Amino acid sequence: MIQNYIKIAWKVLLRHPFYTFITLFGISLTLTVLMVLTSFLDHLFGSHYPENKRNRSLYVGTVVQTDSSGTTTSSGPASFGFLVKHAKSLKSAEKVTIFSNFSFSNTYVDGKKIKLNTKYTDSEFWYVTGFEFLEGKPYNDTHIRNGDHVAVITDALRDQYFDTNGETVVGRNIEIENVIYKVIGVVKGSPPTRLYTYSDIYFPYTAPKSNYENKGMRGRFVAIVLAKDQSDMPAVQSEFDSNIARIPFKEIQDGQKYSVLIVKADKYFDHFLSTFARSDSQKVMFYTVASLILLMFMGLPAINLVNVNVSRILERASEIGVRKAFGAPSKALLWQFIIENIFITFIGGLFAIILSSIVISFINSSGWIAYADLTINIPVFAISIVVCLLFGFLSGVLPAFRMSKLKIVDALKA
Amino acid sequence: MLSHLFKLIWNKKGAHSLLIIEIWASFMVLFGVLSLIVYNVRNYLQPVGFEYEHVWNLDLASNQDTLEVAAKLERALQRVKAYPEVESVSRMSSNTPFSANQMGNSVTYNKVEVGADFYSTDGELSKTLDLKMLKGRWYQESDRVSKFVPIVINKAMEDKLFLDEAAIGKVIKVDDKKSFKVVGVVDKFKSRGEFMSDEPAVFELLAKDDVWNANMLIKTKPGTDANFEAKLVKEIAVMLPGWGIEVSYLTESRKNRQNLTLVPVLIFLIVSGFLLTNVALGLFGILNLNISKRKNEIGLRRAMGATEGRVTTQFLGEIWVLASFSLLLGLIFALQFPMMNVFDLDSEVYIIAIFAAIVIIYLIVTLCAWFPSKQAARIHPALALHEE
Repeated sequence: MIQNYIKIAWKVLLRHPFYTFITLFGISLTLTVLMVLTSFLDHLFGSHYPENKRNRSLYVGTVVQTDSSGTTTSSGPASFGFLVKHAKSLKSAEKVTIFSNFSFSNTYVDGKKIKLNTKYTDSEFWYVTGFEFLEGKPYNDTHIRNGDHVAVITDALRDQYFDTNGETVVGRNIEIENVIYKVIGVVKGSPPTRLYTYSDIYFPYTAPKSNYENKGMRGRFVAIVLAKDQSDMPAVQSEFDSNIARIPFKEIQDGQKYSVLIVKADKYFDHFLSTFARSDSQKVMFYTVASLILLMFMGLPAINLVNVNVSRILERASEIGVRKAFGAPSKALLWQFIIENIFITFIGGLFAIILSSIVISFINSSGWIAYADLTINIPVFAISIVVCLLFGFLSGVLPAFRMSKLKIVDALKA
Repeated sequence: MLSHLFKLIWNKKGAHSLLIIEIWASFMVLFGVLSLIVYNVRNYLQPVGFEYEHVWNLDLASNQDTLEVAAKLERALQRVKAYPEVESVSRMSSNTPFSANQMGNSVTYNKVEVGADFYSTDGELSKTLDLKMLKGRWYQESDRVSKFVPIVINKAMEDKLFLDEAAIGKVIKVDDKKSFKVVGVVDKFKSRGEFMSDEPAVFELLAKDDVWNANMLIKTKPGTDANFEAKLVKEIAVMLPGWGIEVSYLTESRKNRQNLTLVPVLIFLIVSGFLLTNVALGLFGILNLNISKRKNEIGLRRAMGATEGRVTTQFLGEIWVLASFSLLLGLIFALQFPMMNVFDLDSEVYIIAIFAAIVIIYLIVTLCAWFPSKQAARIHPALALHEE
């Protein structure tokens, strides 16, 4: 039966290429944008190199100091000491790493300037993140204890700074702001959209200019708390919360007028969201606006499709009339039309997958984001299929309903 | 004529309601995107108010060094000034032009409170950035008299804080120990780049013993390259061991800053462009079908003596009435934005966006209806009537 419906749908498609084009254009375009968007969001928030363990990582990124009424607020990264005291001490976590937020520097080679992102980390950083070492190895606790001037650089910086001639650069020196560091490892670079772990060069936190000795709560460091597995995350969060709750009031005041301290160990997306939507009502607002935009974006092509489909019912009135006259129930006709629509949507979906892989490979190779690794992965694909079905159903059900309501006489007359 | 068109549309309200929803939704999308574009274009058309071409930003960080920081900063400043490649140099707070840093504060004068961006700089800034003075002059160290700190404000600040009065010489009390005295007014200062709106700004004379504001803006002579930069960084690093030193060009920061605005706008533009193409194609298809279904009616009108033009006008009129109705519906929503001052934007932005959206919607529906109605009107009456 279904085979027959699909055959009919195919014939209908071929009968009016222009209308077929309108339909397919709408479907494939909407799905393409949707797929590229989900792929990009996955690139931003999913677990990818080098933060492969992001799905069980908690981020301690900002310390918010405010007064009870919330009128004056000051926020920013924490100090090294603060994180050592309250995050590193977590017993329920597998590993905790503390590292500096991004900072910039320059280095010069042969009259050429190289702009650098720099980062100071502890040795656990290399365990928590999954950086792939192309040469050498990471620094360890001994390097940190001795305050050695060593550095791990990315392959991009290696190619810019050194004349490699195919030889390893491990053991060679790199000079930054008049301090000479020995390169002990080269890692594969990461896209700059991995905001916390992206850098060109990594130093042990005891290297010069890291400011890890600074007192107070605020500074330039962030922490990633790695839970043993995903189900463990709430336990780690509550332990961290109770750690924060134990901070005495005097310390919270920090010599200033603040009386409330908010520090959270959040999952990456929650952490990202809370940087611009602090209160719950703002979060609700964010989700409402986002879903409204999405609804508008998906709704417009859907209405368009429904419109085209409704207008085209009469084209097939005689066929329906004959089927009805021979005793086909309304339900059967309804299903036929819905199946036809889903079939068309899947064709559109196929085009969309081809189109979006072209767009994604274009984005990846355009250099718009260095080391971009956007992919159409399984979850993205699954979401698209569901969206396809929804789309087909949405644009098919109303015309089908109208058609099945058509009186036999009217249908045969037309 | 118009009431007749209404009757024609009303008779098919079921089928037309979907069309109305579609046009309404397109209008809303267009209105949103156009508001964004109008807002940014309006800002872009206003000059930033300063020169950034050969200006570098030297960012110093004292790190763990706490000994005589102010004196060291002063020495570094004198050293930089002494280079023959340097035209002028001035110290500035970390909210340098095109940077992501912001320092806001509010000032009150005669019960009028205005929030403004605060910039702490020395007496050289107007030279380094070629700021255009409208009134008065840029402050000097000699302007600091006991508790009066000299300030320079921009035009937007003068208009907002002093309303119709002249700003020069006015004293703004901050607290018992400190008061601002206005010595000059500059034209515009859009430090966050072209796409920033012209917001109130206050320049405050940097205290002599200041240790917090460790940025220097260096105006170099044309033709200065990275070799000088490397030499500069090296010598400053020797002078200030343990300090962080970073040089960036304002032209580069400007580009980064621009992309922050341009990329989202571009994405919205592309997506809504495709959406509207989609709608236009659909509309064309629907009108084509609808009009070709009314052949008898056209044949009858033509047989009764209606010209081709009049038939075309009828169909165009129908779609215009339909579009007007959807737009009326859309206006009910869109007008809330300027009336309720959503997002604190100038209501002019929304009004322009609404007008542009209306024009574009009419253009799209006219284009979509033109071809089918032209074709329908060309049908020979005999042929059309014969089919019946």
